[in-house]
Amino acid sequence: MSTLEHELKQLIINALDLEDLRVEDIDDDEPLFNEGLGLDSIDALELGLAIRKKYGVRIDQEKDDVVKIFSSVSSLAAFIESERE
Amino acid sequence: MVLSCVVLSTWGVCEGAPRDDDDATKKMLEKLPRLLRRRLTPLARTVFTAIDQCALETYDMPLVFSSTHGELAKSFNMMRQIEAGEEISPTHFSLSVHNAIAGLFAMAFNNQQQCSVIAPGMEGIAPGFIEALGLLQEGNARVLLVFYDEPLVPFYPAEPFRLSADEMALALCLSADGKGLKLHFSRRLESGNSGEQPLQLPCLVNFLNNPEQGLVLRTAYKGWCWQLDV
Repeated sequence: MSTLEHELKQLIINALDLEDLRVEDIDDDEPLFNEGLGLDSIDALELGLAIRKKYGVRIDQEKDDVVKIFSSVSSLAAFIESERE
Repeated sequence: MVLSCVVLSTWGVCEGAPRDDDDATKKMLEKLPRLLRRRLTPLARTVFTAIDQCALETYDMPLVFSSTHGELAKSFNMMRQIEAGEEISPTHFSLSVHNAIAGLFAMAFNNQQQCSVIAPGMEGIAPGFIEALGLLQEGNARVLLVFYDEPLVPFYPAEPFRLSADEMALALCLSADGKGLKLHFSRRLESGNSGEQPLQLPCLVNFLNNPEQGLVLRTAYKGWCWQLDV
């Protein structure tokens, strides 16, 4: 698990009030929504805001493949890395 | 015939913001989907705990929620954030509407029953009873009537207008007949100022504990009376 992925898991737990989860409980490739962690559309908005505040990366729902970006911690990390380059 | 009597089969009250380790709150939280628990504000926990105190087997009945101010503090804080140029939390925004707690309740128990959420203003608790009576009059066997409010943030001049009191939620399961406390509800001509719902709720709880005394609440243009129906 990279540092960014670890950070993102902690961000998800903090931003979404998932207090009963630990970083170790979230797999890098586990789906974040529906059958995975079970997050919903409000969580997606909250997470988008948290990522913007922490990394200065904006996820544009018109241009970006939001479903793919939010599909797992790995894909979120890959998107943030690509935007930083 | 217009219904003016109701039977109170069971009721539950929660006073003050409950802590998660309170037995009643803990018991209630265990019944909720894990991911939904985090969305419950302190006031929502108070409301859910009061409803849970009714010990109903199902919520298979129309629901009426009545709150004068709802969660105004949440909206107030968001306005302050906007004023400061900060971005507001989408979660907080989504839960800032007047029917947010009713919506959370419906989601928590997968309840698709008819649900009304009213802001009764200066009329206090009476509009909630009128709404419930209307639903019973339509033929519903039972109605769950839930009152709740929390203190207003100090920004608002509550005291001179009798708008704010300690946090409280009260849930009443009402029916047109059957076993329970039979109550007669009527309108009175005399007006007065018993305050808005937050101040009236403790009076209603006191009445439910001592129903033989009756309860009269006065508003600017009229009064309302609850009595044991004998």
